[in-house]
Amino acid sequence: MSEEYDVEFVEREEREARFLVRGISPGFANGIRRAMVADVPTMAIDTVRFIENSSVMFDEQLALRLGLVPLTTPPEGEFGEDDTVTLSIDVEGPATAYSGDLVSEDDLVQPADENVPIIELKEDQRLEAEADAVLDRGKDHAKHQGGVAIGYRHLQRVEVVGDLPEFEEQESRIVRGVIEDDGELVPTSEFDHDLSNRYPGKEVEVEDVPNAFVFHVETDGSLDVEELVTRAADSIESRATELEEAVQL
Amino acid sequence: MMVPVRCFTCGNVVGEHWEEFDERANEGDEDPQEVLDDLGVDRYCCRRMLVSHTDLVDVVSPYQ
Amino acid sequence: MELRVTERTDDELSIEIAGEDHTFMNVLKGTLLEHEDVSAATYDVNPEQSGGQTEPILTIKTEDDVDPIDALEEAAGDVRDKAVSFREAFEAAA
Repeated sequence: MSEEYDVEFVEREEREARFLVRGISPGFANGIRRAMVADVPTMAIDTVRFIENSSVMFDEQLALRLGLVPLTTPPEGEFGEDDTVTLSIDVEGPATAYSGDLVSEDDLVQPADENVPIIELKEDQRLEAEADAVLDRGKDHAKHQGGVAIGYRHLQRVEVVGDLPEFEEQESRIVRGVIEDDGELVPTSEFDHDLSNRYPGKEVEVEDVPNAFVFHVETDGSLDVEELVTRAADSIESRATELEEAVQL
Repeated sequence: MMVPVRCFTCGNVVGEHWEEFDERANEGDEDPQEVLDDLGVDRYCCRRMLVSHTDLVDVVSPYQ
Repeated sequence: MELRVTERTDDELSIEIAGEDHTFMNVLKGTLLEHEDVSAATYDVNPEQSGGQTEPILTIKTEDDVDPIDALEEAAGDVRDKAVSFREAFEAAA
């Protein structure tokens, strides 16, 4: 059995994309979505050793904040589940310690955003710490979740079925996602999500296109969109392979 | 105390935009709505993180 | 992935698949149902807090003297093929 999928990008940036997949069953679409959220490992700080912390926040609070900073995740195979990368931070007040002040021992693992304030330091306050980043999955802690606000919607086909009666006022018709108009893919944001803006004076019919889903994928910066999607597919593939081999025994 | 690093609801990194938002909308006189749109903070869960935040470091620092 | 057969007859199989969750089990179940000789397939997972059986249990029933183990093996292969062809289609578009 060979499934034929057809993928087409609607919007595309490094950290955010919308793409249409045709020929995908709802169950499999959901599997891919769940894998993107919970099963793709990303780097995040997990252990912090404080050398000096005279700031107004406790060690634990700062450790949580450091953990939430997204770190770029190295290419697959570069790191194992047990490898750690050490990052250090040393800031003396009066100043604000930013995520960009983290100095990593590895070029592949760097803070993805540099302007996240960690703690504001006053005169004579100082933060000096060493942190170990590890590779883990979103399932275990939200800080390892590479994808944010990932979802999918049916592709909706819009068809003009006729004109509105002459004196009837058109009601607004809100749709969200992406519509297909005569084979052309249009994100609904282009007409303010209101079909009456795009088809003034027309009567339209909207229907879901079976097995065609538009994914919206956004990442926290630890991976780009392509990496996240391919690694999600890989994680399902590796589990299927594992099961296949386990059953054969 | 300090601005949350991520949005509580969706996990998007919002701390990144705090200083610019604070400067333009709280200290400055720009419309917060426009600043948030400009920063690309689209979802209302992320927007409330910035709109409702108050820095408390200056308030608590004398009691160290 | 640890497998443990909990019940087995000629045309019915209950198997515990340790370490998996809805992400994989639902895809697997869906794929099993697409299989020609599978008449029923379902899985059950209990929440972690409930105690007792918390690993998913997959139950398969087959027709026409097909061994449910073989059906499971084929379905796992199908899931793998789906994931591979999805990735290939995605990479082609990317």
